[in-house]
Amino acid sequence: MSVAAPSASRRWPLRIVVLGYLAALVGLPVVYLFVKAFSSGFGAFWHEVSQPGSVGALELSAKIAAVVVPVNTIVGVAAALLLARRRFVGRRFLDLTFDVPIAVSPIIVGVALFFAYAERIGWFGPWLLHRGIMVIFSPLGIALASMAVSLPYVLRSVLPVLIEVGEVQESAARTLGAGPWRRFFTITLPAIRWGVLYGVTLTLARTLGEFGAVLIVSGNIQGKTQTLPIYIYDAWDQNYDALASYAGAVVLALISITALVVLSILRGRERKLHVNIA
Amino acid sequence: MSISLDRVTKRFGVAFGVEDVTAEIPSGALTAILGPSGAGKSTLLRLIGGLLTPDAGRISIDGEDVTDVDPRHRNIGFCFQSYAPFRHMTVAKNVGYGLRARKRPRAEIAARVTEMLELVRLSDLANRYPAQLSGGELQRMALARALAIEPRVLLLDEPFGALDAQVRGELRTWIKELHDQIHVTTVLVTHDQNEAMEVADCLLVLNDGRIEQAGTPTELYDRPVSEFVLRFLGPSTTFEGTSVRPHDLVVVPAGGGTPAAVTEVATLGFEIRVSLRLDDGTSIWVQSSRAEYDALGVSVGDRVGVQRRPGVSSHLVPPAAAAPTEPDGAPVFGVDEQRPGERGVIDAANLTGRQS
Amino acid sequence: MRPLSAVGAVGGATLLVGYLSVVVLIPIAALAAHGLGISIDTHGQGFAFWDWSLHTNFAGFWHTVTQPTALQAIWLSLWLSLGVAALNAVAGIAIAWVLVRDEFPGKGLVEGVIDLPFALPTIVAGIVFLFLYGASSPVHLDLYETRTILFMALLFVTLPFSVRAVQPVLESLDGHAEAAARSLGASGFRTYRTIVLPSLLPAVLSGFGLAFARAIGEVGSLILVAGGLAHTTTASLLIYNLMQGPPSTQVEAASVSVALLVLSLVLLSSSSALSHHFSRRLTA
Repeated sequence: MSVAAPSASRRWPLRIVVLGYLAALVGLPVVYLFVKAFSSGFGAFWHEVSQPGSVGALELSAKIAAVVVPVNTIVGVAAALLLARRRFVGRRFLDLTFDVPIAVSPIIVGVALFFAYAERIGWFGPWLLHRGIMVIFSPLGIALASMAVSLPYVLRSVLPVLIEVGEVQESAARTLGAGPWRRFFTITLPAIRWGVLYGVTLTLARTLGEFGAVLIVSGNIQGKTQTLPIYIYDAWDQNYDALASYAGAVVLALISITALVVLSILRGRERKLHVNIA
Repeated sequence: MSISLDRVTKRFGVAFGVEDVTAEIPSGALTAILGPSGAGKSTLLRLIGGLLTPDAGRISIDGEDVTDVDPRHRNIGFCFQSYAPFRHMTVAKNVGYGLRARKRPRAEIAARVTEMLELVRLSDLANRYPAQLSGGELQRMALARALAIEPRVLLLDEPFGALDAQVRGELRTWIKELHDQIHVTTVLVTHDQNEAMEVADCLLVLNDGRIEQAGTPTELYDRPVSEFVLRFLGPSTTFEGTSVRPHDLVVVPAGGGTPAAVTEVATLGFEIRVSLRLDDGTSIWVQSSRAEYDALGVSVGDRVGVQRRPGVSSHLVPPAAAAPTEPDGAPVFGVDEQRPGERGVIDAANLTGRQS
Repeated sequence: MRPLSAVGAVGGATLLVGYLSVVVLIPIAALAAHGLGISIDTHGQGFAFWDWSLHTNFAGFWHTVTQPTALQAIWLSLWLSLGVAALNAVAGIAIAWVLVRDEFPGKGLVEGVIDLPFALPTIVAGIVFLFLYGASSPVHLDLYETRTILFMALLFVTLPFSVRAVQPVLESLDGHAEAAARSLGASGFRTYRTIVLPSLLPAVLSGFGLAFARAIGEVGSLILVAGGLAHTTTASLLIYNLMQGPPSTQVEAASVSVALLVLSLVLLSSSSALSHHFSRRLTA
């Protein structure tokens, strides 16, 4: 990029406006979050975090993530392989379907799941009820909602890498005698590993922080179907417990910021990988 | 390990990749598949390797019909144009990949890898990654990887394509030497006729998916059966209604041969390229040595004469007179010895010009 | 010839389609069906589907959606989202400009700050805005239950989309066209207006569409600060409120959802089409 920056004196006005906007809109809230959370001291903060409600919420969020992340990773990689390697009728449809849940409001995702699987009013409600499977208002429903809203992340991270790497290495492995599974684990997967990790991180962050969709399907039953974001909401909405909601918010914020840092490291690695591939 | 192609056809949509190709690729020889871009050379190579399945025809390696056999089980070594290195593995791991896939014992793999790396002179770079290798080194690694599994056939797709001229030349010599050492049936694809002629024991010229001619380099150069082969394998110009090689024409002082005027003289190292215009307006050129040209003492604008050089002439030979062929038109190698009725195979006995 | 891989591909594809159906396709269909009152009456004919009759209740859907509360909520969501997307489109260009064309210590930090609203869970943003601009605000700005705070929260969450849409395009401009314009005598501003902005237009439109889609569906950051007032209830919040009630209002929620879905779809595809139109003119 060979554009010379304008002289110093002319840079400042725009710089000040932009930095001011960012500081006020983003910087201030984030700083305030941490200041307020620790304003009563670290002890009080820790006390709130270790409340059974909070711990239960953390546990539930973690368990949900432990299911959602592997499932959506496998689905995303499989779909990427399908879209990158084969021609078939309905390609575009498959491609578009993956984008549907993040193009619509998370509330709508929750409502849609509700009308498909709710006990009485849902399409499959009676069928599920008959078999004793509860989807809505149970962790299963939360898992489904989380799978929906984090659906495309792995696919979108892996597909471009898969296309760029191409099939040559796999063809070479084939001529050398490697079968399909060996080829997948020794050639394909290593080639896309940074893309996979990037997608996994995004999926994890989204699952842990999802609110709107989970709000609808979870029923907000304390101790049973409260994920951490719901717990934070409930702490204020029901009990006006500022410190509890704050403490939870900080924990979530820390997790997300960690994810952000990991993502930028991975972006750097992926750039190096791209240089190699070229 | 000869390769037999019987009426092999591969279509891509409406277009033909290769059409009705029948040939015998001799065992132990280095065969070059030659042709312009889009002629179907890579397609043919991939069909032999099993990366593509023919729509019609059969392919056999060493008498065994492999048309329906997965490349995994054909025991062939394939070198891709882009070298296809496994970028996340070291050179040593790359070379050993095929052996690991065959689940050979670790000690055997290690020994074989060392042996191969020595053969291609990459022993020092065993623990480097492909990103740290030059084009020529990657090419050698690809060869070592393919040879490590002791293939019965070695297939090379445009092996010299992406390299600069000097490395290309070195690699050409080196592959020839390697082949002399290892004697595995090798088929290489190239669009560069000079490389093919220098390196190959026998040539298969493809055009538009079909075989134009097959034979030794000398045969094809001296006795091409079609205009296309003549033009493709060397320089040509039109004289007296036929295509001739410019070095088979000679410029003589005015009064002899066909009258012409010199329009341009270009010095190309040792040789001189003399462009002339005949009285009827057609332009031709003659390749002359410096000594010959200087002896003439002519320059641009002078009137001279042009005639064929006496002695050996390579001009278009109509198919009927060129070489005996099978009744169905399939070409037969070994034209110096007439063997009608036998589907000819080149072996060491009747190779001209290249004795192994 | 390769039976295993063919079986594997078909089996995998079936599982994939099954998964997508359970998680996306069936729910969306169920939503549309309930929202539009679509039902199939088999008349006891079993699987003889040619004897079934299809009922739709478009009138019911329309009635729900044109209720004053619904209309107000939809209207609020619409103009809030359009306004936010527009403001951030402008801000996005300015921010991207500084990020790409300027150098100063701490620029890396600014890059991270841009990504924060994207990474931060919406409920966290909601909590912060509640206390920062609520009753006990340290900056003495009580904006609780106002449309202003909704606007600000939406600015927060849509910021990254507007910036990241424009940034790569700005990065790829090598300055040659601008230098040529300058050499022909164009002033800085004219160059910017006639050379730079047009090449950014497709990206700006695309970013606008993304920001709009994000804003119109936003819940987590708004739910705590919106309070219970009718004129601060966005469409998404209305849907949530309706879902809390009996099945009759839940069906209303489905109808409003369908309406919202259609609106976002229309706007998203228009901005995408416009973006493509302008980008084709640039590259043709």
